Amino acid sequence: MASASLVLTDDSTLSKLDQSLLKLERVFALISGLAVFSLMLLAVVSVSGRNFFNSPISGYVDWIEQAMPLIAFMGISFVMREGAHIRMDIVVGKLRGRALYVVELITTAFILMLMILLVWGSWAHFDRSFDFAAPMWSRDSSMDIALPIWPAKLMAPLAFGVLCLRLCLQIWAYGRAIATGQAIAVPLIADAAKQAEMEADQLKADS
Amino acid sequence: MEPIDIGLWVTGVMLLMVVLGMRVAFAAALAGVIGLIWIFWAKKDYAIDDFGWALGVAVKTAGQVPHSKVSSQALSLIPTFILIGYLAYYAGLTKALFEAAKRWIAWVPGGLAVSTVFATAGFAAVSGASVATSAVFARIAIPEMLKIGYNKQFAAGVVAAGGTLASLIPPSAILVIYAIIVEQDVGKLLLAGFVPGAFSALVYAALIIGMALTIKNFGPPVSGYTWREKFVSLPPALPIVFVVVTIICFVYNPFGGDAWGTPTEGGAIGAFVVFLMAVYKGMRWTQLKDALLETAKLSVMIFTIIWGVLIYVRFLGFADLPGAFSDWITSLTMPPMLILICILLAYAVLGMFMDAIGMLLLTLPVVYPAVMALNGGEAVSAADSTFGMSGTMCAIWFGILVVKMAEFCLITPPIGLNCFVVAGVRDDLSVQDVFKGVTPFFIADAITIALLVAFPAIVLWLPSLA
Repeated sequence: MASASLVLTDDSTLSKLDQSLLKLERVFALISGLAVFSLMLLAVVSVSGRNFFNSPISGYVDWIEQAMPLIAFMGISFVMREGAHIRMDIVVGKLRGRALYVVELITTAFILMLMILLVWGSWAHFDRSFDFAAPMWSRDSSMDIALPIWPAKLMAPLAFGVLCLRLCLQIWAYGRAIATGQAIAVPLIADAAKQAEMEADQLKADS
Repeated sequence: MEPIDIGLWVTGVMLLMVVLGMRVAFAAALAGVIGLIWIFWAKKDYAIDDFGWALGVAVKTAGQVPHSKVSSQALSLIPTFILIGYLAYYAGLTKALFEAAKRWIAWVPGGLAVSTVFATAGFAAVSGASVATSAVFARIAIPEMLKIGYNKQFAAGVVAAGGTLASLIPPSAILVIYAIIVEQDVGKLLLAGFVPGAFSALVYAALIIGMALTIKNFGPPVSGYTWREKFVSLPPALPIVFVVVTIICFVYNPFGGDAWGTPTEGGAIGAFVVFLMAVYKGMRWTQLKDALLETAKLSVMIFTIIWGVLIYVRFLGFADLPGAFSDWITSLTMPPMLILICILLAYAVLGMFMDAIGMLLLTLPVVYPAVMALNGGEAVSAADSTFGMSGTMCAIWFGILVVKMAEFCLITPPIGLNCFVVAGVRDDLSVQDVFKGVTPFFIADAITIALLVAFPAIVLWLPSLA
């Protein structure tokens, strides 16, 4: 099940780096949210253009396909920081203290290894369609209105790169937690009861 | 080692990682990448010099997946539906719905509880988030029910159970995810969810009315609203109806003729209406920014798990694990219906420990082909099939069953999240209280699932028209 997060902060260098990276991550996540919002507006313009003004937007689907990587990738590091990527916490939820940090350190290191490989792989995917010599620097283009595809492809290695920074920071933080016994700058695990409480608090704050 | 053995090993290690708490998306992707490297390297007989080559090919194969798989028009429905949910909250639709439901239907026996079920069904439809729905209605509906003498545990149970109606009634993000993974028509699946979702709500209502008629001092009906009062309550709740109807009309036009557009457009128009409503109700940039950030967060979470699992699926294709599993399932001598029921029960168990989206994405690549094979294959006609339906219809039916199972798990112990949330919102209720109150609904759900299995027509009637 998905777990909600709590991240502790203090005035250490680690925590300061965490905060600075968080600012960047929030901007990235907001870009993703704004992309969703623009998709909505685009559809409204497209449908009303088609039905009322007899002038559909050309390349509607092309634009959606351009926006999707923004939505899908840009917030990935923010979600990692908040500890909101889905996991099964039935085992780690039972662990406490150093045993927990060791397990977290190991799984985080595996994720870092994966993401470094995927930065490489997704960059190669981008690199195949990018060419300084070609028109609009592009070797390929979208079906309908020939938008260059490389900017959309670039989003993956870009967002994954930021995620790698976040993962390095988390590995440092778990290592530090093993040494000091105090976890800073990483999401703590919330059990079902704690999540419920947070959900309730959020509603109280909103209403 | 044969590819199939590599497939089993890698899958085993992946499951171990998931149990150890590695984020599902990354565990699946890592399993996919390692599996690809292994398979390519095995082809070269593990020559040391060729490891670099195998690594390069595997990483480049995996590296295409995130961009190429998420750049699809159908997937854009997911963030749109999520956005509708967050905006609906700011549009004040919860209170409006509850008021309207109360004035129109609370005169039946157990009326306020029945109203709560329909109001949660309505809000759950647009919010798509079961847990949030239960949390919101715990604050609105429980106090009103307690005021007129309902049992506290029962009132909590109604709200916890009502929240689970979210995932079937359109717009439903989880059905979109299912459609994408099994490569079926998104529109048909969305349409298919409507009747079972409404059916579940009716079963709940029938249960409450039955209890009200048989149990003494259950909770009086609420009546005495004038027609004027009834009609005044309708306009504020209309956007919900609008969203559901728009999405259905953009998929299948009930008035005859072509559908109005694509589901993507329908979802976006629905979101726009709810957005206007929220602005009218006083939503400003700060709240909109929050809604957008939350939308981004949930969308990214879902997309990450989608591309992660698809990297794993790419590897599964090389290892032919789904094929082997299908062969095994079809070779079993048990009756196919019994096998299907066992699969559904396995989901019930798994759902107790894992989030619905993670559970479905992780298991469907292997389980879905097996279920299709059990029915006689993707292209089978209704006459030749095991379950008496064509391949496409079987895909839709199984999708609805699996999603209903996943929702069922939200109200089952030990970690039925909806029950925890209701207990969390109400200080005077323990989790045990809510679990006790939700028991009748738990039984009602089991009956609903049995009916959906026994009479597939409940699910398939509407999509077969489109």
